Amino acid sequence: MTDFWVLLTGALVASCCAILGCFLVLRRMSMIGDAISHSVLPGIVIAFMMSGSRDSFIMLLGASVLGLITVFLIQLFQQSGVQADASIGVVFTALFAIGVVLVSLNLKNVDIDLDCVLYGEIAHVHWNTWEMSGMDMGPKAVWMLGITLLIIIGVISLFYKQFKLCAFDPALAAAIGIPVALFHYLLMGLVSMATVSSFESVGAILVVGMLIIPASAAYLLTDRLGAMIFISVAIGIASTGIGYGVSIVLDASIAGCMVCAAAVLFILAFLLSPSHGLVARKLRRRTLSGNTAV
Amino acid sequence: MRLKTNSAIRRWIMAMLFLTAAMLFVTACGSNGEDFKSGEGKLKVTTTIGMIADVVNNIGGEHVEAIGLMGPGVDPHLYKASQGDIRKLDEADVIFYNGLHLEGKMAEMLEKVGKTKTTVAVSSQLGETELRSDPSGAGVHDPHIWFNVRNWISAAEVIRDTLVEKDPANAENYKKNAADYLAKLEELDHYAKEQIASIPDASRVLVTAHDAFGYFGDAYGIKVMGLQGMSTASEYGTKDVSNLRNYLVDNKIKAVFVESSVPKKSIEAVIEGAKQMGHDVAIGGELFSDAMGKSGTVEGTYIGMVRHNVDTIVHALK
Repeated sequence: MTDFWVLLTGALVASCCAILGCFLVLRRMSMIGDAISHSVLPGIVIAFMMSGSRDSFIMLLGASVLGLITVFLIQLFQQSGVQADASIGVVFTALFAIGVVLVSLNLKNVDIDLDCVLYGEIAHVHWNTWEMSGMDMGPKAVWMLGITLLIIIGVISLFYKQFKLCAFDPALAAAIGIPVALFHYLLMGLVSMATVSSFESVGAILVVGMLIIPASAAYLLTDRLGAMIFISVAIGIASTGIGYGVSIVLDASIAGCMVCAAAVLFILAFLLSPSHGLVARKLRRRTLSGNTAV
Repeated sequence: MRLKTNSAIRRWIMAMLFLTAAMLFVTACGSNGEDFKSGEGKLKVTTTIGMIADVVNNIGGEHVEAIGLMGPGVDPHLYKASQGDIRKLDEADVIFYNGLHLEGKMAEMLEKVGKTKTTVAVSSQLGETELRSDPSGAGVHDPHIWFNVRNWISAAEVIRDTLVEKDPANAENYKKNAADYLAKLEELDHYAKEQIASIPDASRVLVTAHDAFGYFGDAYGIKVMGLQGMSTASEYGTKDVSNLRNYLVDNKIKAVFVESSVPKKSIEAVIEGAKQMGHDVAIGGELFSDAMGKSGTVEGTYIGMVRHNVDTIVHALK
């Protein structure tokens, strides 16, 4: 049963991240997951200073607020002409630094950092159950991530055309009257929600990895956005399965193994993709040069 | 053309060799973890930090099999669960942890496990007066209780009572072992008090990289100064470095100490600074703070670790 819950949690995280990751890769903003993983520090510090408790719900609340502020600022700077990667870098380093300053000013003797109060551990999800009026409802993480996934699927499928056009050609989208800024903010809001709730359930590395790697691999395998999203989700779920198997054999960190598995799948896609792959390109070049030689 | 293909093939072979080597390395590193040897009739106990496992082994003797999740040299703040840890927690009859937020978020999970299993925080019997609390945040305590041997005596009593309750058949055995072990801890407490008191008053200052020795200082009458706060996210400021340096120079402190689970770079900056002001400070030795030494060595037990710390401090400061 433990295995089932770990795999289900992993698959939910992978799906949430893989769907959103596709849009982020297209917009060249995939490092946003890493950015949020750092910039939530002042959120948990302020939440602790206000409440005096390190209860996980309060920490999650503080982190969510800061997550939203992070993506809002990044989007704002980007729209005002700052390069996407630069605006991500500026916002997250500045916010993280504020967190470090707050800790060093006020909380020198309290053990408070992201690892020990916010980041969850996928190995522990199965014990962290949610109880409602005395009934055991199963792991809290599965509920939280399941609802997040439903919201993501709902919003994306409702406005699929708009999101697609905004990702590929914002100028055209604006020209035909789509509120581009609104959809950018909406996407960023979803990203913030997905990453923060995943951090709380399974920790940082799995989320950051799943946000980037499956989507990048899928990008190599297809040129159509719809197909890319499905392939990305499939790669994400496959790597949770493979990674969990490897972690059993090696007795190693589960999240670490899952991300490594995703990386291996990415390398396979990179080498073997029919259109963009290294092998396919080599072969094509050889036949080309062979033809010219004759 | 021919040459080019050859070099390409060679590159491929190199890449494959590299990958194989990496795989071998990973496999060799993995699967070193301990595991329950499915000892029949033994009480299976899983603990978080190694210090608790050591006490359980001493009290439980042959009737108990204890495994610590965090191995030697592992900082509890930086512990990462491995897949096998799930089984260790699942199969355990009793789980002991330190409590007071030493285990961070994991403690919340352990409390929930406590509904179906015996899960005990060894710090549970310590009252407000025995705990060091932080002036800024109400209700927040320093979790490094094992530096005061008296606190660890209380922890050992919690462990004894839990084992007796859980396994009444061997109760007499546990009580006897516990009495022996508690006597040793009393002795250790006296030893530490005596030894630290033998250091001249003026040089009785313990300078380390991070703030873990608060209980030690309170219990044995030595002033404790740390460069870094308790959290790993709190970084030390330049003012911390210069304050500490000035203190060392003004009070002619002979030695500072490094910790087994904290990098020593930060403390080296202070030493360098003092040197430039014409005062030589030595590194007094390595202290065990958040984790014990390698298992099988003397420092791999709680008593050995405390003795090592006391001896190192006395030797360097006397």
